Amino acid sequence: MNPRPLSVRVNGQALRVESVPDSERLLDTIRWRLGLRGTKEGCRTGGCGACTVLVDGRCTLSCLTLARDVEGSEVVTIEGAADDPVGRTVQAAFRDAGALQCGYCTPGFVMALTGLLKERGGSTSVGQLLDDLGGNLCRCTGYVAIVRAVEIARGRMP
Amino acid sequence: MTATIRPDLEEKLRGSVVYGTDLEAAGMLWGTLVLAPVAHGRIVSVDLSAARSRPGVVAIGAADVRSLVGGATGDPERPPFPPETVVYRSQPLAAVAAPTLEEARDAARAVHIVVDPAPVISDIESVFPEWPGSDAGESPGIAAHVRGRRGDVDRALATAATVVRETYRTSGVQQVPLEPHACLADVSPGRWQVRTTTQSPFGVREDIASILGVPEASVVVDGTWVGGGFGGKGSSLLEPYALLLARAAGRPVRLALSFREEFLLARSTLPSVIRFETGVTDGRIVGRRVRLLLDVGASLPGRDFATGYSIGFLLGPYATPTFEVEGYAVRTHKPPFGPHRAPFAPQCAFAVESHLDEVARAVGLDPVAFRAAHLWSTGDSTPFGQMVGAFGLPAALEAAQRRARAWRAALPPGHGVGIGLGFWSTGTGAGGEARLQLRPRELVIVQGEREIGSGSVVVGLAAVAARRTGLPRDRLRVEYRPTSRAPFDSGVYGSRTTAALGRAVDEALTGLFAELSRRLDGAAPVRLVVADDELHVEAGGSRRPVRDVLTDGERAGEGLAAEGRHYGRGGAIDETLVEKGTFYAYHDFTGAAHVAQVEVDRATGAIRVVRYAAFHDVGTVLDRPTATAQIEGGVVMGLGTALTEESIWSNDGRLTNPGLLDYRIPTLAEVPPIEVEFVEGFEGAGPFGAKGLGEPPIIPVPATIAAAVREACGAHLTELPLSPERVARALKLV
Repeated sequence: MNPRPLSVRVNGQALRVESVPDSERLLDTIRWRLGLRGTKEGCRTGGCGACTVLVDGRCTLSCLTLARDVEGSEVVTIEGAADDPVGRTVQAAFRDAGALQCGYCTPGFVMALTGLLKERGGSTSVGQLLDDLGGNLCRCTGYVAIVRAVEIARGRMP
Repeated sequence: MTATIRPDLEEKLRGSVVYGTDLEAAGMLWGTLVLAPVAHGRIVSVDLSAARSRPGVVAIGAADVRSLVGGATGDPERPPFPPETVVYRSQPLAAVAAPTLEEARDAARAVHIVVDPAPVISDIESVFPEWPGSDAGESPGIAAHVRGRRGDVDRALATAATVVRETYRTSGVQQVPLEPHACLADVSPGRWQVRTTTQSPFGVREDIASILGVPEASVVVDGTWVGGGFGGKGSSLLEPYALLLARAAGRPVRLALSFREEFLLARSTLPSVIRFETGVTDGRIVGRRVRLLLDVGASLPGRDFATGYSIGFLLGPYATPTFEVEGYAVRTHKPPFGPHRAPFAPQCAFAVESHLDEVARAVGLDPVAFRAAHLWSTGDSTPFGQMVGAFGLPAALEAAQRRARAWRAALPPGHGVGIGLGFWSTGTGAGGEARLQLRPRELVIVQGEREIGSGSVVVGLAAVAARRTGLPRDRLRVEYRPTSRAPFDSGVYGSRTTAALGRAVDEALTGLFAELSRRLDGAAPVRLVVADDELHVEAGGSRRPVRDVLTDGERAGEGLAAEGRHYGRGGAIDETLVEKGTFYAYHDFTGAAHVAQVEVDRATGAIRVVRYAAFHDVGTVLDRPTATAQIEGGVVMGLGTALTEESIWSNDGRLTNPGLLDYRIPTLAEVPPIEVEFVEGFEGAGPFGAKGLGEPPIIPVPATIAAAVREACGAHLTELPLSPERVARALKLV
C-alpha cells in the first residue's frame, strides 16, 4: 500500500511517476499528478464514460482502473488523440458533425470511439459502434450529432 | 446540414478548456462539505474538534461564520450553515479543508454531529390528503399561495353538459450536468475572489454578498467553462463555503461536489399533484378549475418562484372563458425547489395536454382537433387578459398534424402516434449590457457570461453582430471577462441570452455605427467589410481601413469602444383577475408542437420511441445549426423526464437514487431519429425578431409521448415518468 513509483508511457512519453499509492485511480494520476485535465471526471463509478482513455489501445474507464494496473502500459489521453491517425479521424468527424455543446463528455466520446475503431478497423458497423458507446453519456446534444459523427468517422475508416 | 464551426469547438475537441472541476492553484487545500445525517431536527451539537486536531485540517461551522466575515451580518434567512434546525437531509452543517481530498473526507467523517430528530415531511399528499382549507395559505408549511379567477367557475361547471375531473402526478427530476458544481476560492484582505462553474457570474456575486454580508464590490466572480447547467448553476451553491474555508485557511481552497453529492444537493424540480375539472358544452370549454400542489422542498416562504409562473401553464395555450386556478407551494424536508430547464413546464404540459385529450374523448371529439379549436392565435387574449403576440404555435400544430398523418399511413401494429403542444416565453432577467471593441482586424464583444454549451453566448451573440454588420463570423469574437471587468448581465438562463443580451449587443452596434459615421463626417449608412485581412469601414462611397479611423490610443489599446444595454420587461396581465399571490406576464410567446411514434411492449409495458419530429416557433432563426442542436438536445432531455427520470425519496427524506445507475438519464441506445423544423415569420422581442429557444424543446415531450402511448395501447397515464410499471398497471398486466 505504500506509495511507490509507477512506470508508464503516456501519450508516447515514458514516465516515472513518483509516490503513487496502490489505491490511486488512474483518473487521479492522469489529472492531478500529470496535470492532463482533458480527461474529465464525471461520476467516478463507471456510469458516464467521461474519463475514458486508451490503455494499450483499448477503451478504459480511468475512474475504475487502479494506476498500479497500468504499470508498463501505454496510456493515451485526449491530449494525445491527435497524434494517432484514427484519433484525428474521430476528432475531425466530431468537428464536421458539430457533435458537442458543453464539451464535458467530448474527450470521453473521442477516446471511446477512437479505441473501438482502432480495435476493429473497418470490420465494424455503425450500429455496433453506437451500441458500444452506450456507456458514454451526454446531457446536451441528445446524441443526434454524435450519431452523425460516428457515421462520418466509420465512413472514413479504410 | 452543415455544422456551424463553433469558436469553442477546437479547444473542446482537444480537451483543453478549463471547467470548474479542473481548477487548481499552488498551495491550495481541498474542501468538502459535512452534510446533515437526517432531514429534520434540532441541532444539538456540531463538534469540529476531532477534525481540527488532524494535521493541516481547517474546519468551520455555523459558529465561525461571523468572525470569518469580519463581524458582517449576512441574510438571516439563508445562513451558510443552519444555526439551530436541519430542514433537509444533506444540508451542509460544516465544511472542512485539508491538503488532499482524502484527508478532507477523513476529517469530515470525524466531525461529530448530534441532531435531535423531528418528524419529516417527505410527501406533499401526506400533508394535504384533501385540498388545503382556506386558512392553509397562512400556515408555515406553505411557501406560497396563489389564486386567480375569471367569472363564476362554479356556475360554469354546474351548467356544463359534461364535466371531466382528473388528477395528475409528476415526479422530481434533476438537471444532471456531467460536470458537478466546483469552484476555487482565493481570499485576500477586502477581496473575496472565486472561480466557479456558473450560468450567472453576477448572480453568484450578488448571492455571495448577501449570504456573507460583504459589499458586492469586494466580491469577484470569475466563471469557468461550464460542463452543462440546465438551470442548476444559476445561483450560488458552493461558493460561500469555499470562500469561508479559504478565509479560515489563509490559502486557496478548491471545493467540488462528487456526483453523488450533486444528486443530493441539487435544487431542482420536485413532485406535484395537479387536479383538473373541465366543463364542456357543444364542443367548447366553458369552465375550468385547476389546482396545483407543488412540492418546493425547503424553499423559504416568499421565495418560491415557481408556483405563480407555473400555474399559467396549467391553463395551456387555450381559450378559457371562465376559470379558477389555485396553487400551493408546499414545504417539505427536501432541498429547495430550483430551476430545471423550463422549470416545471414539461410537467404542466403533460398534465394539461393529457387532460384535454381525455376531455375530448369524453365528448366524442378528436383530441387534437379539440385542442386546435381552442388554441390561441396571434392577437387573442390569454385567460389572464394579456394580448398574445406573434405566435407560431397554430402553424406548428398544422405541420405536426401533417407529419402525424404521414406516419399513421404506415403504422405497424402496437405502434401509436401522438402530438403534444407546449408554449413558453423568453426570459428577460434583470437585464444585460454589452461592450464592443472595434479593432483593426476584428470586432470584439466583451461580456461577463461564460458559454454553458448551448451556444447562446459564443454563437448567439456573434450571430447577432454578424447579421447587423455583415461581417463574417471569424471577425467577430466574444471575449469573456470576470465580474470586476465585465458589463453587467443577469445570467444565461430563461432562454434569454441571445434574445435579451443580444439586444444589448445590437444597441451597442447602433452606437458604434453612429460614432463611425461621425468620424467620417456624417457619411451614412456605414458598413464594415473585410479587405486585405483588415476591417474597413465603408460609407458615402468611400472605404477606409478601420485602423485609420481609430485614435492612436484606440489602436494601441482595446479599439473603439461602444456600449449597449437592454433591460426588457414582460407584458401586462389583467391584475383584477389575481386574488392572491403573484402571477406573471409573458415577454413574448414561443411554442412548439411535437410528434412521436412509439411502440409499446404489451408484455412488459416498455415504451420504445421509434421516431420524433419537433416543429418550433423560435421567432427569427439566427443560426440554424445551433438552434437545431438545441432542440435535439432539449427533446432528448424531455425523453428522460417522460420515460425514466424520477428522484425517489424515502419517508424519512432520504434521496434513495443519487446516482446514474438508479436515476436513469437517456443514453445513445434510447434515442430515436429526431427531425427539427422551424415555423418562421412570428417575430419575438429579441434581435431581428428572435425568441428564446433553450427551454421550449423540453416542454412538449412528456405530453407527446403520453399521447402516442395512449394511441398505441390505450393506456391513459396520469403520472410521470411513464415507466414500464405504470404502463403495465394501466394495461392491467400486473
